[in-house]
Amino acid sequence: MVYTDATVPENGIIWRVKGQLELRCYPESTDAIKKSISQTFETLRSQMKSESLVFTVCDSSVVIWPNKDVYSPHGEVSSNTLCEELQRWIKCFHYLFVYSLCVIFVCVGLCEHTYMYLCVCACMYVNVCMHACTFMCVCMFVVINLCLMKEVSRPGPLPVPTLTRTLQSGHALLTTLPMDCVIRSTAHQPIGVACNHLLDALTSQLSEMEKAALQNMKGTTLLVPEPYHFLLPEPRGLVTIVYPAGVPDSQLESHRKELHGRFDLPEDRPYFRKPNAFRFPDQVHKDGYLRNPHQVLTHPSLDNGKLYLVQGVYSYHHYMQDRMEDNGWGCAYRSLQTVCSWFQQQGYAERPVPSHREIQQALVDMGDKQASFVGSRQWIGSIEVAAVLDQLLGITSKIMFVSQGCELASKGRELANHFLTEGTPVMIGGGVLAHTILGVAWSETTGQIRYLILDPHYTGAEDLQVISDKGWCGWKGPDFWDQTAYYNLCLPQRPRIF
Amino acid sequence: MGRGYMVEEAVERYLSSLCSSSPLTGLLLGQSSAQRDFVVMATRTPQREACPLTPSPRDTLDMEWINEHARQVSRMLPGGLSVLGVFYISDAEAKDTLITLRQLVFAVQKSISRDLLWLSGDDDISERVTLHVNSTTRKTFCRTFDVRDPKSTAKPADWRYQSGVCGSWPMVWSCVEVEIPVSLPPRGARPGDLETSLQEGLKLWAQQIERGTFLLDGRKISEDTELTGPTKRNVKQSLQAQILTTPVCPGEQVSQVGASGGRVVLRGAVHTRAYLHGNKPTARLAEKALKRDLLSTVALRLNMVLEELMETQERDRLSLPTRVMCPLRGLGVGVCDYRFSDEGPLEVLDRLKEILDLEVRQEDLDHTQEEEAVTVETQPAPNEGVQRSELQAAVVPPLKPQGRSYIGAAMATVMALLAAAASLLYLDD
Repeated sequence: MVYTDATVPENGIIWRVKGQLELRCYPESTDAIKKSISQTFETLRSQMKSESLVFTVCDSSVVIWPNKDVYSPHGEVSSNTLCEELQRWIKCFHYLFVYSLCVIFVCVGLCEHTYMYLCVCACMYVNVCMHACTFMCVCMFVVINLCLMKEVSRPGPLPVPTLTRTLQSGHALLTTLPMDCVIRSTAHQPIGVACNHLLDALTSQLSEMEKAALQNMKGTTLLVPEPYHFLLPEPRGLVTIVYPAGVPDSQLESHRKELHGRFDLPEDRPYFRKPNAFRFPDQVHKDGYLRNPHQVLTHPSLDNGKLYLVQGVYSYHHYMQDRMEDNGWGCAYRSLQTVCSWFQQQGYAERPVPSHREIQQALVDMGDKQASFVGSRQWIGSIEVAAVLDQLLGITSKIMFVSQGCELASKGRELANHFLTEGTPVMIGGGVLAHTILGVAWSETTGQIRYLILDPHYTGAEDLQVISDKGWCGWKGPDFWDQTAYYNLCLPQRPRIF
Repeated sequence: MGRGYMVEEAVERYLSSLCSSSPLTGLLLGQSSAQRDFVVMATRTPQREACPLTPSPRDTLDMEWINEHARQVSRMLPGGLSVLGVFYISDAEAKDTLITLRQLVFAVQKSISRDLLWLSGDDDISERVTLHVNSTTRKTFCRTFDVRDPKSTAKPADWRYQSGVCGSWPMVWSCVEVEIPVSLPPRGARPGDLETSLQEGLKLWAQQIERGTFLLDGRKISEDTELTGPTKRNVKQSLQAQILTTPVCPGEQVSQVGASGGRVVLRGAVHTRAYLHGNKPTARLAEKALKRDLLSTVALRLNMVLEELMETQERDRLSLPTRVMCPLRGLGVGVCDYRFSDEGPLEVLDRLKEILDLEVRQEDLDHTQEEEAVTVETQPAPNEGVQRSELQAAVVPPLKPQGRSYIGAAMATVMALLAAAASLLYLDD
């Protein structure tokens, strides 16, 4: 049962325009650099009103001159054409499944049980009050991609070219600005309106780029301002922030603090780190790993049950990937890799997902294992997983222990709370196997529980169909666990940083 | 199975008329397509003024002169038209002249290729025709050679005369604004820097054009679309093209403000035109032909003023010559020439006669496609040194070519400049 909210945003259209604009200036002296750059940006802003500015709609034959109110194909598309009609012209659509995590305050449901919770755990109550209900909202958006171009042809005749030479000692700066603007429209708006909004967005992005360029100039070095799109909780939606290129997240903290304040966001989770940038459907992950395979599953519905799932994006790591033949011994390593991938993609860690060797080396470096451990096929458990998370990523974890597998059925509340407050994947090891728990479906009243398991023992290719059909990522009941074996669970804690 | 050449009837009359002046070489002009080739015009190699007439057939032909003529002819051809081969009129037996013709066609091709700003693509036809006309019997002997294969042998080809070969050829044209800013390295650097900088700027601009989006009659159509012919026969079809570009992105994250010794900017507009064969031409052909013409017309005009710019330090402003179009009556295609502002239409007519052997009337010349540069010199402000000028009324006398015509103007260094640029650019499907 998916908990839905009555205020799911209507299906809309996202317009994204990308293009390059040349930034070329000739400051006379090093003192005049900033002024010269500002003047050039002013010129670029005025070019946004030029009649030779063109939007071409990607994967279609539609071309728009927004400042001339000219549309091609003439007679078939005009400024009054509705956005939804424009979709007819586009060869393939990009549907966007937006998983937005919205935090709302549940008043009614909790109040009844408030006194019970107070007895159990005061801090849990506080947490629950703050993030009372997490739900996943699936919104479908169509993305229309546009390319920003300039028409060089003109109605002639015009004067023939002149070659002008200016010999003058000075300076020159030449770079291109990677424009990338996003606006939202409804299906029933005419495209003329959307185009005007896009022009406004481009103009204001130029201003933000100017600010970013000037603030981050070091002497004669200009850091190219780059736009990033971030998905904020509704009703904000997608916002675009300009960051200077090449500056790591660790140095952008004050900028992010200002952003959290501006958008009224809590400072205990990142929204504006570069890895948090929104991925459009046409941006394929080049690394070949599957992302969030659990999203294609049909989730179970229990009486009075709720879903508590991992928040954000992780990659599926399993046996035999990366040409590492760890069949039979590497399951905990793979689960650890899945956990690391979550921290990396939510922006908490900059280092890439560690290899088996790096994991082993980390344990040796900590003094936990002998040097001969590196390159061996020895298993690791939850304790080692927690230790490596700390050593390599600076993440602390809670360890949960059950002496018998059958006790796991009673851990519903803890696991539910974990997914509510931390939202990180859980590594579980016991008996001879390790798995990753991505969520639980749990009913407080009946105590029924199901576990969403990501199985690292899969040895096949990255085939989402097979993985979901055969249950390599799937919902399991309490009988999934070895009822007599003991289990350790590693529950990684989300750092309260932004 | 050899190639088939459809040849304009007027070419037969022209070749016939030349038989009395045999031996004579010349060029065959037209367009090649995958299925067949079209020859629309022929032009004899003019006499070199210093040399006596009629060398005996045994004498080696004046290759250098023939090559130079071929280059001059090539520059007067709008897009879509090119030198398809050579002809040789003599009273010798056809089989005896094959070696000469082979030599000739390879040399001409090589000479013309040096000027091209692109490498030919895989789908460019590399067969060139050689035609021998026996001056006594008027019999023609036609063979082709693959000029990309140094070992190629003669292949038979079909040579057929027809009227109205290019009567209904569509014409594609556009007026394109060119802006090529080039930053010069600091003073005191190597002397070749102006050339190198311009070469870089031209290369980047050519890449932008090559990658640019092409619209025909206001629409973006797919490359394989066949352009429908005119509804009535022999009605000239004229398609206006538009080009959309985006800057070529260096993809760098960090940019440095560097020292510069100044800049050179080429700014203005050119008329670009291409003729497409009438045998189901595609949008791809139109785009290729027009873009190549655009690159050529800018590069060769730049070439014409470049030497002057490099030699003098006083001249800071030079305007390029204007393009004069010359539609050929009764043919359906046209040629063009370049006129400096101190030249009149008579000089153009003279060149058309000398290089292309065309008798053209003054009223047939079309000067309206481009305007002369309205240029300016203003007084530099006292404290600012050299500065950019504003547009006002004075016309600056531009560069004159040496001598009356272009033939004989050896611009070897400039050719090297563009030839080096040629290896870096290519237009390809």
